[in-house]
Amino acid sequence: MNERRRTGLILLLVLGLLAASAVVIATKDTKLGLDLEGGVELVYQGEPTPQVPRVTAEAVDRAVEIIRDRVDQLGVGEPEIQRAGSNQISVGLPSVQDIERAKAQVGTPAQLYFYDWEENVLGPDGRFVSPQLASQDPTATGISQAGGDASRGQTLLDAVRLASRQRASTDSRGGSREGSAYYAFDRDGRYLAGPEKSERDLISAIDSRATSLPTGTQVFEVPQGWVVLQAVTRGAGERIETDDPAARFYVLRDNVALSGNDIKDPAQGFNQSQQPDVEFRFTNRGKDAFQRVTREISQRGQGLALPGTTSATVAQHFAVALDGKLISVASIDPQRLPDGIDGENGAIIEGGFTIQSAQDLANLLKLGALPIGLELISQSQVSATLGKQALDEGLVAGIVGLALVALFLVAFYRILGVIATVALLIYGVYFFALIKLVPITMTLPGIAGTILTIGVAADANIVIFERVKEEVRAGRSVPAAISVGYRKGLTAIIDANVVTVMVAFILFMLATAGVKGFAFTLGVGTLVSLFTAVLATQAILTTMGKTRLLARPSALGAGGEGHRWNADFMGLSRWFFSLSGIILLICALAIGSKGINFGIDFTSGTRITTNLVQPADEGDLRATLESVGASDAKIQRVQNEALGPNVVQISTEQLEPTEVQELRTALERDFGGVTNFSSSSVGPTFGETIANNAIVAIIASLFVISAYIALRFQWRFAVPVLIAVAHDILIVSGIYALTGREVTASTVAALLTVLGYSLYDTIIVFDRIRENMPRMPRAAFSQIVNRSMSEVLTRSLVTSLSTGIPILALMVFGGETLQDFAFALLVGVLSGAYSSVFIAGPVLWHWKEREQVYTTRRRRIKAENGGVVPPYALVAGGAPEDVEPERKVRRRGRLTAPDDPERAVAADEFEKMKRDIDVDDSAAAVTRPPRRARTATASPPPPPAPPARDADGRAPDEPENDGMVNEPRRPAPPRRRRHGRPR
Amino acid sequence: MGMLVWIMIGLAIWHFTIFLPDHYWGGIVGAFIAAMFGAAIFGLIVNGFSVPGNDDVSILTAAEGIPGALIALGLCYYEGLRRERKAGWSPVDA
Repeated sequence: MNERRRTGLILLLVLGLLAASAVVIATKDTKLGLDLEGGVELVYQGEPTPQVPRVTAEAVDRAVEIIRDRVDQLGVGEPEIQRAGSNQISVGLPSVQDIERAKAQVGTPAQLYFYDWEENVLGPDGRFVSPQLASQDPTATGISQAGGDASRGQTLLDAVRLASRQRASTDSRGGSREGSAYYAFDRDGRYLAGPEKSERDLISAIDSRATSLPTGTQVFEVPQGWVVLQAVTRGAGERIETDDPAARFYVLRDNVALSGNDIKDPAQGFNQSQQPDVEFRFTNRGKDAFQRVTREISQRGQGLALPGTTSATVAQHFAVALDGKLISVASIDPQRLPDGIDGENGAIIEGGFTIQSAQDLANLLKLGALPIGLELISQSQVSATLGKQALDEGLVAGIVGLALVALFLVAFYRILGVIATVALLIYGVYFFALIKLVPITMTLPGIAGTILTIGVAADANIVIFERVKEEVRAGRSVPAAISVGYRKGLTAIIDANVVTVMVAFILFMLATAGVKGFAFTLGVGTLVSLFTAVLATQAILTTMGKTRLLARPSALGAGGEGHRWNADFMGLSRWFFSLSGIILLICALAIGSKGINFGIDFTSGTRITTNLVQPADEGDLRATLESVGASDAKIQRVQNEALGPNVVQISTEQLEPTEVQELRTALERDFGGVTNFSSSSVGPTFGETIANNAIVAIIASLFVISAYIALRFQWRFAVPVLIAVAHDILIVSGIYALTGREVTASTVAALLTVLGYSLYDTIIVFDRIRENMPRMPRAAFSQIVNRSMSEVLTRSLVTSLSTGIPILALMVFGGETLQDFAFALLVGVLSGAYSSVFIAGPVLWHWKEREQVYTTRRRRIKAENGGVVPPYALVAGGAPEDVEPERKVRRRGRLTAPDDPERAVAADEFEKMKRDIDVDDSAAAVTRPPRRARTATASPPPPPAPPARDADGRAPDEPENDGMVNEPRRPAPPRRRRHGRPR
Repeated sequence: MGMLVWIMIGLAIWHFTIFLPDHYWGGIVGAFIAAMFGAAIFGLIVNGFSVPGNDDVSILTAAEGIPGALIALGLCYYEGLRRERKAGWSPVDA
């Protein structure tokens, strides 16, 4: 395919995709995340159960399916339920504001167990009830006939103390729980926490920041094989919390007769008294088990039937427990049902239901129990107003960022800048369409990722445009310069973008939900930008290349000689190193003295942002907070006109959803109401997960990228890259400590982005070093690096500006959340640009200079220059040393036919041949002096006498090799003309 | 957090190794590894092989990284010189 056709095809593709994007944008809705739309987000962590002792990916996926079905029953539109990491589930419920009901519906384990009541329940004296019934022990008879209600139960402390004295069962298979359960009470016997799996969990449950239990805490261990169940509540819809002093409990041997897996088709119905109940049938296995157990219960009742006893006194019971609470203890009349109950007809659970609660239970049972335990580790509630405000701010920041980058590009690159701006706009349209098409849920970090990709997209153009300008200044015609510029720039862009996509992919795989959205947009955005910034702009430029618009170099911003950096970068590197060393020292001392201000994402706690209808001073607010138990709260006033005149932010230790609701009610009562209430509660596990995931993501990114760099460059290039990255990440951390800014989950995402950007920038710099190594076969490595730095410094500065501009827009217009994110990015981008040139380059120089090939060169150069190595390698006449490296030109078959049958070659082929042999016949080239860079090859010095050979058989000033390959070349085998075949 | 502080101190000190001739064993990268590990290991030893948390770090924690980094850099330099003398060749003096 000739170049004209190829260009035409790409332009057609660009236009076609634009049209398709326009259709998608017009017809599809944008899916907004909770932080932009408002709603409730719950994050659960999977916990093993006796049935599923290990939380596998399959079990988590099954739990996700069950939760999805439950949410569907709630009628929530567009919920977002997904697995986060290996064992977490994130549940997003847009527009839902009742966090308590959402939590009850979504995360209830719905573990249903059936117990033979008299056989398993313990009396307060620690004896089983069943054996005492024959002797008509009043306590045992009372417990039997009370049907599990509160009248015969014990306080939680007594029940737990009794259970803790029992002998552990060695086998958990017949039980509902594996391992011990721990409870904590204060010195006065008030309930603090439990049941938990360990004492450590107890500590976290009481105070997430504590490292030990409060003084005087009583801890009880209920051994495996025993459970403490809350008594049945009789009032319809009545709910008694565990810590309510009125709550009563029973201790049972954990000998499960049937479980929720043995029932099917549960439905809400009505009993004979027209009270709501839950009716269900049994599975085949359940039928047999139910019949067997009820027969045993009935026979035991028959054994108690003595002359004069009524059916009520010999009735035996069957208990149903759901998630640690007795919901029904049904009686079986042994005289009426001597052979137990036939499971064929199913069974009913009745007592204490409203229609709604019976329907909810039926739904939960219908959808099945969660296969794993779920621990709520984070919950947040965003008001719709706050979400809309965040969205508006993000959009404004994006538009301003894009406009400023466009202005900057046009000012710096003139016509090329206009084309780059067009490419950026095309990129914006494609990306927006893709967001709607996939659909990608847009979150605040996602918007930040998108804005950052504007910088990345612009950078791809900057790399190429700088190349084009270099070629124009070197004397090529504009069309030739465009062609060569794209060819040379493409390698660096691909390498850098591959690294960015790798980082995004690793982030996506390992990070938590919020960061995941950011990683996805960054990865997809980078790929789209590769298409628009390279292919689309090349097609546009090639089409325009021969027009009058691009005839003059000044149209490309390449008028005059341009600025050349002549500094001895390697000589100056010791001062740059010193500067970095001092900054790091200050940062380390700052972290040492002040520590890092971790937000609630890491320390756990609850943050509430709300407006108050009536103004309130801190004293009034604190009094209200203390009335609901939040005495250690930090109160901060926030200026936010969208939320109202009196906006406060309250940070406190982690509150339960009921406590958050109590606090809201108290604020409404004392300050005339609240209209925009948002809360976020994070458990200690969540922060730990974020931190661990971030560390794993960083290590995995560095490992994969080192391998990539070693493969594409040399392994010695990988180490300076890693050092530069470490430098940047540590500086960002240190600046956070120094400024006292809060570190949140978004900061971690920003830190990982800095990692990607730093790598990107260093690779662009190293690409130039790689390119110059074979071009300077007699130069010291410091000279190669110096020249490379002088060539890429402009690009680095321009890139830092083009990336920094949208980040600055984020800081100014992006609202509170994005401001934090943008601050980390800004520091990281500046540090990344600096370290790429002034840290990674010198480290590579020092390390490569130890190689024998460069040691030999340096020795020779020193000898020639009075014991010093000049900063730049110059040949006679002061021109830089430059040898056109041997290019591997693939010989291709004839792909095109001549345009004119009388000519031997096609016009495109002819142009390609000219490029291959480096002929430039443009008017500009003819009227200009010969190119500077070619002087060395144009007038080479006379060949010296054969020098003495060193130990390696090489002359000291022989062009050793290009520094890329140190293996000696094997002599080429003689060409075999016949290849064993007759010709 | 203590580990982060020690590593930062090690990295900060490493930056000043550029003022000395590159006789380090493994060159500038060898010095980098030595400084980081030296600071971290010394910090660990001083703290009885426990790492201070975010609330436990102080200026002193940062200072604990300095001797380790310097000792490790000294050892790295000495070993580099020893090897160069043994080989009779130095990349720096060439």
